[in-house]
Formats: sequence, structure tokens, C-alpha cells
Amino acid sequence: MTTTLLIIHGLMAVALLGALTHQALSVWWPAGKRTGSFLNNVRAVSSTSYTNAIVVLFLITASLGAFIYPAYRLGIRVVLQDYHLSVPEGAFELKEHFVTIGLGLLPAYWYFWRQPLSPDHAGTRAVLTALLAFIVWWSFLVGHVLNNIRGFGS
Amino acid sequence: MKRALPVFSVAFVVIYAFAVDFNLALFTYHPQLNEFAFLVERPKTGPAMYWYGWIATSALGAITVSALALAVPQSWTRLWSGWTWVVPTAVIIFFVNLLKSYFLR
Repeated sequence: MTTTLLIIHGLMAVALLGALTHQALSVWWPAGKRTGSFLNNVRAVSSTSYTNAIVVLFLITASLGAFIYPAYRLGIRVVLQDYHLSVPEGAFELKEHFVTIGLGLLPAYWYFWRQPLSPDHAGTRAVLTALLAFIVWWSFLVGHVLNNIRGFGS
Repeated sequence: MKRALPVFSVAFVVIYAFAVDFNLALFTYHPQLNEFAFLVERPKTGPAMYWYGWIATSALGAITVSALALAVPQSWTRLWSGWTWVVPTAVIIFFVNLLKSYFLR
């Protein structure tokens, strides 16, 4: 059961990571039109169309993570402590807090991205998107590393 | 109603930082026993988890602050929108500092 939920959690995280990366790039490094190159197409998306999907994916991913979190505390964290793996343990502690900050940011993120977009808040929108992208990238990478240390199949 | 959303976000992250630092969990979860307890409780068998309780404390506090913001005239709560990223960034730095010992051992 936990393994299945962990896989779904990972798949949701991939979708969230893609959506947020698209949006962050389209805001910070916009491309006027599609030229056919991969990098240009990644940047030339309609950034507003991702907002609701990002909110929903963040909520689902975080909820699944919260549901399987006890399995980490009981089965993995103790192993990290036994082997004195303090860096991955600390990285996961940061992930826990960063994700919570991300959850708290979602209402403001949605508010500033709602239609019609206010030009006065373009800077706030851009930084909030970058903050969420940082949180999701950190969480994804740390979760992946932890899973490789001791997770699925161990 | 929607104008309270940025207030909620800022209040949530600030209260969360205090909730963690002072361990102000609304409830404790004992995963080994699959038991919940009101407020902060010491570990029994296995670890005690406070994270869910910290989130509940922060959500409750942020809802209260947002409701207060809605109760006063809009002009009183009209703040620079940048606080919605300045404060969370400061809270992120706070947590990095709080947990730096994990990376300096």
C-alpha cells in the first residue's frame, strides 16, 4: 500500500515539477513565439493556464506525502540516524518545512495569478512562482535521493 | 473575501515558524501506536510526530488572522504585495539556520 502511494506521490511530483518549471521559465525567461527549438517551446507556454493545475497537483502531492510520512519516520529515518547520515536526514527535515511553506503560499499564489492578471503584481507573481519552483525542485530531489538510500524495494 | 488570501499566506508561514520553534502543535501523532493526542505529548512507543499538529496550529491561526483582516476596512490591510514573498523567503532562511547543524556535523 505504502509503495503504491509512494509511486503515485512520485508521479504527481513529476507532473507538478513540469508544470511549475514551465510556468517559472515562461515568466522569468519568456519567449515571444515558438521557433521550433525545444528550449524555446518550453519557454513559450501560456503561463496563466498552469495556475489551477499547479495548486491542485501541489495539494494532491503534499497530501499523499503527508499520508505516507509515518512510514518514513518509522522505517527510514531511524536507519539514517543509525548510520549517522545527517545530511540526507537534514535535507528531508528541510523538505518537510519547505513543503509546508509552499502549502501556505498557495492562497497568495492563486490570488496573484487569478484572471485578469494585474500588471501591478507581475513581480510578486514571478517571485512566488520561483519560490514554489524552488520548493518543489528541492522536495523532488531530496525525496528521490532518500528513496535511493533506503526506500522502495529495500 | 479573496483579499484575505495573501494575508492568510503570510500569517500561515509566520505562525508555522513559531509553532515549530516553540513546539506549539495542536495535536500529536504517535505513528507506532496509530494514536492521536491533543496538544503536545512526549513520545510513547516509537517517535511522536508534531508536523501535522504544527500545520493545524498554523492553519487555525492564519484563518483567525484572515478573518480579522476581513473585519477591518480594506484600507487598513492594504499592504505591499511583496510581503507575500519576502516573509516566506525569510522563513525559509530561518529554517535553514535552524537546521544547519545537520549539515555541519
